[in-house]
This record gives sequence, structure tokens and C-alpha cells, in this order.
Amino acid sequence: MRIELDRPRCEGHGLCEEAAPALMHLDDDGELVIDSPDVDGEQDIAAAKAAVRVCPVAALKLVAA
Amino acid sequence: MNPIESDVDIWDDDITVDPYPTYTALRDLGGVVHLPKNDLYAVTRYDLIRDVLADPASFSSTTLGFNPMVNEALQGTSLASDPPVHTQLRATLSANLTPRALRGLKVTIDEKADKLVAELVATGSFEAIDSLARAFPLDIVADLIGFSGHVKDNMLRWGQAAMQVIGPLNHRTQESFPIAGELYGWCSSVTAEDLAPGSIGRGIFDAEARGDIPQGSAGHIIHQYLGAGVDTTIASIGNIVALFGRHPEQLKLVRENPELVPAAFAEVLRYWTPLHIWGRTAVRDVELGGVTVPAGAQLGILLGAGNRDPRHYDNPDVFDVTRNPVDHLSFGYGPHGCAGQGLARLEGHAIVEALARRVKSLTLGDGYRVPSNITRSFEQLQVLEVEAA
Repeated sequence: MRIELDRPRCEGHGLCEEAAPALMHLDDDGELVIDSPDVDGEQDIAAAKAAVRVCPVAALKLVAA
Repeated sequence: MNPIESDVDIWDDDITVDPYPTYTALRDLGGVVHLPKNDLYAVTRYDLIRDVLADPASFSSTTLGFNPMVNEALQGTSLASDPPVHTQLRATLSANLTPRALRGLKVTIDEKADKLVAELVATGSFEAIDSLARAFPLDIVADLIGFSGHVKDNMLRWGQAAMQVIGPLNHRTQESFPIAGELYGWCSSVTAEDLAPGSIGRGIFDAEARGDIPQGSAGHIIHQYLGAGVDTTIASIGNIVALFGRHPEQLKLVRENPELVPAAFAEVLRYWTPLHIWGRTAVRDVELGGVTVPAGAQLGILLGAGNRDPRHYDNPDVFDVTRNPVDHLSFGYGPHGCAGQGLARLEGHAIVEALARRVKSLTLGDGYRVPSNITRSFEQLQVLEVEAA
């Protein structure tokens, strides 16, 4: 699976980072960086799904790689 | 299949004051319930609400309000527009409201909250709505936009009216239109020089002067900040005080575990949703939760009903600061998700943190809500006794 970010829509609320700290983080400017866009393994996929779910502006998607 | 009908009037006085029994009844009837008395289709369940809010291609925001006059007045705002037009308007509106834009404000907001709460605690007893729930956001938003004087004095009634007029054409909407018009009038005539240098409001005019945003849009943006950012935050801060007063064990949990502050604020927003209802229109016949919503139908999204949906939250009628419902619906969801939620969180977290630091327990006296079309808020709430920490 692959995490896709709609960059213009992202406002940096940071809830995704809390849900999936191993996969993404806000940098020093408050911009979201996806550290591991390609995810596999049960744990990472669950974390990625949680991140997609909590994004308040629906800027993240999890798609088939 | 056609949606099931109910004879509920969702803007009945008693229901707007205490909507939760009605929400339960409607949610049990169906995920979409036709309310002929209000000429709308109520969306009641969590998953369907998320689906509607995530799908602007099927559900338009051009009739987010429940009367034609307010929808007409909101044309040209990001609130009432659909993609692709929405995308640019939203970017302009939210540029100064994103968490990254607001980072510099956190220290100031935390200090102001702490000072205000400390003063109130020192008095031993206080009325929480005027002295805290209203005073704090009005102060923050006045500083943010950079106004003072008569504008600050009017902001409470202007902000309340701006929300009220989103309702149907009942007496509350009709009484509020002239007041909402005062806010509109001020925003249409305000100039850069009226706003404090260095404020975000002044910055919006600077952006207009530079050509970064369209000519004439600065006043509209300030109107949206004021219309949306006052009444809602007031409601949530009043609810914080009331819920900590009613649930001393939950306050104790936050006192002992300050890392629970964000979770506690999210739970306050979930448990008592500041906005009852928000509108959309079906642009074509749409299948939703197994029923057909006909083209042109007005939807009424019951955010508070979704926030208490047992299909999504375990024991939804329990107030639990350890739940951390980060996916609650009180800021909406998707492309139109609350543009001011970063600021709302800064304010809410600051108040929860200050109360948890300074208050051991609160004894509540009388508190009451008044009927209202859109915002559900305490009108008055006495704190009879504060035990300082």
C-alpha cells in the first residue's frame, strides 16, 4: 500500500503524526513529510489507516501500491 | 428505497436545548431520516456523516444554510462554495489559521488563559460564561484581527447572530438578521487603518494590497473569521467548565495526567457538540445508507448525533477524558472541515490546561441554555465554589 498526500489540502494539523509517528512527521516549518510512503506489514498498514482516518481535512489516502 | 419519516421538528425549542434523546430516536430510525416539518433529510449516523462531508461532488455546500437569504449572503465565500472554486478560497482563508501560521501565538494564548483562570479562581466563585467562556475568545479574536473599541463591544451579539441566521426562517433567524447585517456592514467598510499594525487582520489587507488575494476579499475573510470563530469557541469553553464541574473524577484524571489535555478537549467537543446542524444539498439522486436522497434535497447533518453513535464510539453517552476521540465530527470533516480548528485547539487546550493546573474542584450552581438554531451553548453557568489547587 502507498500513502498519498494531497499537499495543497494539508494544513498541518498534525493529527496524522500522532497516529503514525513512524511513518510521517511535521518538519520544523510545520510541513508534513511522509517518511515511509510505501507501507506493508500489518502494523504499518494499521497505523497508516489510522493516520488517513484522523486527517480532519481528508488530505491523506491509502492506495494500492 | 425512500427514507423513513419522522414528525420531529429539529428546531423545536426544547429539542435545541437538549437534543440528545431526539438524536438517539432519529439514529435508531435510520441513518437518513426525512423530516417533513423542516423540509430536510437528517443525517444521523457517524459513518454516513463522514461520507457526506467527504463527497462535495454529490453534496454541495451552496445551500449550507437553511434559508435562501443566508445562502444568498454567503455566496462567494469558501463556506458556501464547491471545488474547484472552493480550493482557492479555502487556501486564502486558512493561510493565517493553519497550525504553522499560529505557532507564534501559542505562548500568548496559554499565558492569557492562565492569567484569566488564576484571577477567577482567586475570587472563589464566578459566573463562567461572561467571565471566561465569552471573555477569553473575544479577547483572543480581537487581538488576532486587530480591532478594539465599539467593535469589540459588539462582537458577542454579532457572532451569535451570524450563527443564528443560518437556521430556518423562524423568529430567531428573523430577529438576528439585522444584527448579522451590522457585522456584515462593518466588514464591508473596514479598512487596513482600522486594524492594529502587526495583527492578522492587517496582514490580510496587506495581502490584498500586494495582489496575493483578490481585490475586495479581505473584508469577506474577516467576516468569516468573526462569524465562525466566536460563538463556537464560546460554546466549547462553557462546556469545559460544566463538564469538569459535573465530573470531578475526570478533572482529577487530567490534573494527574496533563498529557490528557488534548484528549480531554476532543472529548468535550464530542460529548457536547457546539454546532447542532449543518447543511448540504444533494446535486443528484444519491444512495446514502441504503435509501435514496432525491436530487435537490436539503440535508441537515446532525453532528452531535454522529458524535454519540454507538456504532462508532463505545459507551457514547459517557464523558471519558481518556477516550481521545480524535476523529470526532465537531469540526466537520474533509475539504470544508473547520478552517479555524487549529486556533480552536490552541484556545481549548489552554483553558483545559489552566483549569487542570489551578483548580482542584468546582461546585456548580445554576446553569441554563436558551433555544438556538445552530450553536448549542450555555447562556449562564454559576460556579459557586472553586477549590484552588
